[in-house]
Amino acid sequence: MVTKRRRDLTVMQQLARGPIDIPFLMLVVILTAIGVVAVFSASYPTAMNEGLNPANYFIKQAGFGTVGLVAMCLIAKINYQTFRGLSIFVLAVSILLLVLVLPFGYGRSTVGAQRWISLPIIGGFQPSEIAKVGVIMYFAARLSKRNTEKHKRLPSRHPLSGIYAWLDEKGVLEPIPYFLILGLVAVLMLMEPHMSGTILVLVGGASVLFAAGIKLYWFIGGGALAAAGLWVIMTKTSYMATRLAIWKDPWNDGMNGRDKGFQIIQSLYAIGSGGLLGVGFGKSRQKFLYLPESENDYIFSIWCEEMGFVGAAVVIILFILLVIRGYWIAVHARDRFGALLVVGITTLTAVQVFLNIAVVTNLIPSTGISLPFFSYGGTALMIQLAEMGMVLSVSRQIPAPKQE
Amino acid sequence: MADKRKRGDRIIRQRPDRRANRIILMRSLFLMALFGVVVFIPLFFKLWQIQISQHDYYQELAVQQQTRDSTVTANRGTIYDSQGAVLAMSATVYNVQLSPKDLMETQETYREKVEDAQENGGELPDYPEPTDQFVAENLAAILDLEVEDVMKHLENKNSQYEIIKKRVEPEESEAVQAFITENHLSHGIYLMPTSKRYYPKGSLAAHVIGWVNPNLGEAGEGAYGIEAQFEEELSGQTGRVVTAKDGVGTELLYRFEDYYDATDGNNLTLTIDATIQSYCESIIQEGVEQFDVQDGAFCLAMDPNTGAILGWANSPAYDLNDPWTITDPVLSQYLETVKNDPTASEEAYRTALGQVQNQQWRNKAINDTYEPGSTFKSIVLAAALEEGVVSESDHFFCTGVAQVEGWTGDPIRCSDRDGHGDQDLAKAVANSCNPAFIEIGRRLGAEKFYNYLEDFGFLGPTGIDMQGESAINPVSAGLIWPRDSFGTVDLAVASFGQRFQVTPLQLITAASAVVNGGHLMQPYVVSQITDADGNVLQHTEPTEVRQVISEQTSERCRTILEKVVDGGTGKNAAVEGYRIGGKTGSSQTLKGQDHTIVSFLGFAPADDPQVVILLAYDSPKPMSPGSNYTEDLWYISGGNMAAIKAGELLEKILDYMGVEKTYSASADVVVPNLTGLTEADATTSLKKNNLSIRVVGDGDTVTGQIPAKGASIPGGSEVVVYMGAEVPTDQVQVPNVIGLSVEQAKKKLEAQDLYLKASGASEFGSSVVAYDQSVEAGTSVDRGTAIEVRFTDSTASGDGL
Repeated sequence: MVTKRRRDLTVMQQLARGPIDIPFLMLVVILTAIGVVAVFSASYPTAMNEGLNPANYFIKQAGFGTVGLVAMCLIAKINYQTFRGLSIFVLAVSILLLVLVLPFGYGRSTVGAQRWISLPIIGGFQPSEIAKVGVIMYFAARLSKRNTEKHKRLPSRHPLSGIYAWLDEKGVLEPIPYFLILGLVAVLMLMEPHMSGTILVLVGGASVLFAAGIKLYWFIGGGALAAAGLWVIMTKTSYMATRLAIWKDPWNDGMNGRDKGFQIIQSLYAIGSGGLLGVGFGKSRQKFLYLPESENDYIFSIWCEEMGFVGAAVVIILFILLVIRGYWIAVHARDRFGALLVVGITTLTAVQVFLNIAVVTNLIPSTGISLPFFSYGGTALMIQLAEMGMVLSVSRQIPAPKQE
Repeated sequence: MADKRKRGDRIIRQRPDRRANRIILMRSLFLMALFGVVVFIPLFFKLWQIQISQHDYYQELAVQQQTRDSTVTANRGTIYDSQGAVLAMSATVYNVQLSPKDLMETQETYREKVEDAQENGGELPDYPEPTDQFVAENLAAILDLEVEDVMKHLENKNSQYEIIKKRVEPEESEAVQAFITENHLSHGIYLMPTSKRYYPKGSLAAHVIGWVNPNLGEAGEGAYGIEAQFEEELSGQTGRVVTAKDGVGTELLYRFEDYYDATDGNNLTLTIDATIQSYCESIIQEGVEQFDVQDGAFCLAMDPNTGAILGWANSPAYDLNDPWTITDPVLSQYLETVKNDPTASEEAYRTALGQVQNQQWRNKAINDTYEPGSTFKSIVLAAALEEGVVSESDHFFCTGVAQVEGWTGDPIRCSDRDGHGDQDLAKAVANSCNPAFIEIGRRLGAEKFYNYLEDFGFLGPTGIDMQGESAINPVSAGLIWPRDSFGTVDLAVASFGQRFQVTPLQLITAASAVVNGGHLMQPYVVSQITDADGNVLQHTEPTEVRQVISEQTSERCRTILEKVVDGGTGKNAAVEGYRIGGKTGSSQTLKGQDHTIVSFLGFAPADDPQVVILLAYDSPKPMSPGSNYTEDLWYISGGNMAAIKAGELLEKILDYMGVEKTYSASADVVVPNLTGLTEADATTSLKKNNLSIRVVGDGDTVTGQIPAKGASIPGGSEVVVYMGAEVPTDQVQVPNVIGLSVEQAKKKLEAQDLYLKASGASEFGSSVVAYDQSVEAGTSVDRGTAIEVRFTDSTASGDGL
């Protein structure tokens, strides 16, 4: 046993030096490699059209990928207990950045939303990416201690003390602080506006709350509320009504598929022409200025076109394995913080993959969600890999099975 | 799990809470099942649906947008006449196409250049700003368009394909090209190659060739005539170039390219001879003017031995290069009256225009049917002779009225009200005697008569390779009686060609069988199809449908029909030197009393027919309703109108075909060369040629002669031979001989040392007068020139002219 040979190390240190989870690491490396290669194929017509070196985006993405993988390994080396203490700062910084992005950010001219902020050294990135991690980290850190936390009580003379105690006992009060944090972050992000980011932050936060054992009725009620809200937005507002109409029939956008339905139509063309085995790597035609954002949100469509159903299935299966392995790490994590942290990150990744592919295949109405490890974007990829580093860090402290 | 918890108990300071840990475990497992498995299942379904089930659908749509499918127009085949002259050909011309979208970019570039020049002090562009207005004005000026119309095209800012003018002529496309180059507008204005049909001979054989409607199909489709009938052969196979393009339309070189070569159309060689065709056309045009013809005319010329159509003319005619324009004077006049009629609406004018256009495009000789009238008697004659029910020795007595059992109307009268009296068969035919033919028909009997109708091809299409022949059975169309109701009265009227309808083409085909030895040939106009490289793909061999009558019967018919021209009703068709046979006809029409189709069915030479013609004028206009005369006092009948023109036509055709004239005593002879001969030799030489001699001077040998050697003068004329004496070289004036009899004309001409070359009516009696001379009165000509004078027998018209 490790502990016996390393007597000079504390138990904590010894634990943090355990082996990282190789299957998860391999899945991350493979997906990152495939993603970078996919960016190469999908981005060069865009690069050429912009008068850049055809490999411009590829080189950048490969650079970020490499740096990201190194960062991931470094983070994996950190004892994840450190993240407990860091979590409140990460959340605070991300909220600060979300506030700062409103006056100082940019992106209004390109996507019509103020989503990016530029910092020295790091460069431009989306504070929402940090916010996702911040929320998950903070929620995991706090919720891991929920059973030891002292329950606040109102003075017994307080007229509401009875109700308060009852509510507290039923778990009604417990999630309220988390809801307030989520609400604040969500409101800030909706001001950019950034609908898809908001959804992901909510999903990430909710997954941690759910796993931590917050009463189920909150989720049933929340789900019902979300469904009702969605129904109202879809049917009662014109904004969603048009989106919905386009989702049902992309050609029905008033310009015979040349206006709002254009992107999804082009995506379907790309995916559809892939067939079983695809047109061959690098041979996509839809990337030649037909499919907007072919190297970004819609990179999976190009992948489907080039590699066919088989190639698409392989990537989805890799993601499934990654997600399942993530949950495996979560349930085997040494402590609740580790478990909740990994559940949050894994769920976030899984939902992001699902939403992206569901959008490009027109399974759901479009939202702008990128595909983890694939979509072009340096900081997004790095943050993604950093999250994976956290998962790996947790995996190191999984106790080895007892030797029989 | 137990293991984990146990270790946890030992190591983690946090207090173990089994219940809380179980919740985390269960809920994590739930999340694993949900986000690790369940949510991805619909993705696989959706991907399968798009990529496998709907693969073809999406692929087709994708390829459609990703590729530029440019067509390569195949060259339409050329149409030649039988001598190889081009009748129809295609040439490359250009469509002028605007791309408002590209033009906007060009305008943007220009503004950037200007801004750049202003900021950096560079030079301003040395060409004007390409504003929409500028482009529209210039193009409108070059292409003869309205500025507003071009502006309207330019307002479709998203469009890249605005064709502002199709198929512009080379001068215009060159001007557009120059405009593009001068003003740097190659990104915005495009010249797209396409092809245009040209008809070098204009209106020649318009109804046979037909024309290509450029508004149909991609490269135009044949609308009428051969162009329509042989559309498949002529059009060829349009080729394609498929190239990949990106989302903004730029071509992706070498990425994806496919060629499908265009196959040029095949070339057609017609049996039509442009020369004969032009003779036919000028004859009908002359006739239409001369006889005040109201409803057009047609003329068919066929080689009776093969069925090949040599000439096929219709009036009204039109210019194939501009088929929508009305060129025929009669039709234009009608149109003009509609246009100027203040009560007529715009709509009425357009309807009238459409009608008139259809009328000029109509190929009367195959589209229309008419009562063949007396021309049909040639067919009845052949049938009767073949069946042996009549012979040359038979006599018929005509009282002027025929009695037909069962006839209830006015008595059937002969053209000669007083009756032709006693006549043998040949004379009956020559007189076109209706009572005689009623008798011949009666002898033939309804059954056999009807058999011959069928055998001569009147009950079905001729099978010609020409557009417009109705496939409808003439019996079911009500044009000819059904066999079972063909009674005595029908037989009687059918015997002189009335009360049933045939197409002119059917008639000439049947008539050819009468004179060619009895072979009913399938008429045809395309003799050969060759591919673009000149390989013969198809050569039309004459097809005999059936032998209708025997060689002997045919020969007897020829002899009898020759007599129609030689002194009969067709005598105006006679041409000195040629043996012409034929039959005149004046057909009633459904349009009423003042609408008669006057026709002549002729063939020559009578002993060995090389050409058969059917010439008809539809409704010469009587001077007053019910009158038998036109304004110019032409008697309205086949013999007085069609026969005259037919004679002229046959002479021209036979001359052109190189058929030698056979001379009778007074027929034309060629003056031999006498120079250097002695008087005795010269006399012998002239005698051989049926000429006499008059010597001037007293030298030993001939030094000059009038007329010069090679001249053609009537046989028996006098040749003046100069022996040493000087040959007068001055010219003489041609006198006017119109209206004179043959003798008078001859005398008048001889007084001027000119020779008379008479043609037309062959029996020179007092009623025969000159109506046309080849050289106009007052013209100066050499001494000894033969002046051709055409005579007409005006007996029937009963008037001096």
